[in-house]
Amino acid sequence: MVHLSSFLLKKYHSGYVVIRLAMAGHKQANRPFYRIVAAYNKRSRDGKYIEQLGTFDPLPNIYNEKLVSFNFDRIKYWIGCGAHPTKPVAKLLGLSGFFPLHPMTVTEAERRRAQAKLAETTAGTEDSQEEENRAGV
Amino acid sequence: MHTICRQGAVTHQPGHVPVISGRSVQAAPLLAPRSAVLVEAVRGRKSRTDPVAKSKVGRIKVPPPVDPVEMLVLKERYSEYELIMRALRLEFKEEVLRKKYEEETGSQAEERARQEEEEHRALINWNDQENLRMLKARILRVQKEEEEAERKKMEAAIQREQQLEESIRLREKEILQLQEEAKNFITLENLDQRIEDALDNPKNYNFAVDKEGKVVKRTVLQ
Repeated sequence: MVHLSSFLLKKYHSGYVVIRLAMAGHKQANRPFYRIVAAYNKRSRDGKYIEQLGTFDPLPNIYNEKLVSFNFDRIKYWIGCGAHPTKPVAKLLGLSGFFPLHPMTVTEAERRRAQAKLAETTAGTEDSQEEENRAGV
Repeated sequence: MHTICRQGAVTHQPGHVPVISGRSVQAAPLLAPRSAVLVEAVRGRKSRTDPVAKSKVGRIKVPPPVDPVEMLVLKERYSEYELIMRALRLEFKEEVLRKKYEEETGSQAEERARQEEEEHRALINWNDQENLRMLKARILRVQKEEEEAERKKMEAAIQREQQLEESIRLREKEILQLQEEAKNFITLENLDQRIEDALDNPKNYNFAVDKEGKVVKRTVLQ
């Protein structure tokens, strides 16, 4: 008995559309490259998608830039049709200016800044302590 | 394009450095007690029945520590963010609907529909013309073929008749010839007569030929 529904119900999908990063496998180890893609929720990460909306190259190039591209027109369409972007996509869009800045971006930046300052102050205190020790001795 | 405003700068309370952990906090950090044991085995290489590794025997997994001030600030930021996102989503939805409406019942829609209909009608006409032409050609061709077939049949019939006649004639000729020859046959009545005739008139079939081609019929006879 042939499974008829797969012939008839090609378009059937209960599930929702997401805008997410899919690894565009060029089958090279240690060289990732992502496509920003509108796909159904339950599809596999690299599987069949509805439409490609951009790219993201996570490794920085010779000018120390990470290149991202967006198709804003289609992104608007899909968000209007009720697609949900994932966290990394939302962050990238926030950085691009299309969305508001994601709160985690700001928080991460603040944390890193505080960490750097802490490291600086400890280095400073260590240096001053060494100087004192040397002066004392 | 919408103008998106950036988040305002956050003011730290003076004299307070937020505790920072190396790991980033996951989506909704819990202010639960530190000693709560979380999920033991979510995913991974090992199945249910595999024993715990020696290095992890006494391990109690603990979520990263949460800074309440930072949490508050984060909550504020998230609420603003969600507000803006909701507004954006509604805007985009409206835009999509408007575009669809324009597409269907816009100013260009009628003209386009009319043009398409005209095109369609023209094409259908052309198709019909082609069909008629092909039909006529086909009819002619079929007629010709029929005529050819008829002619061939007639010719074949004529040929057959002719052959029949030929054969009849041949047979008649043979019969006549035989009849002619029958007159010279030797029958029982003629037998004696013919024997006597043969004995009386000896026939000599011998002859000689010269090198120059002269035929000599006179031979030695009894």
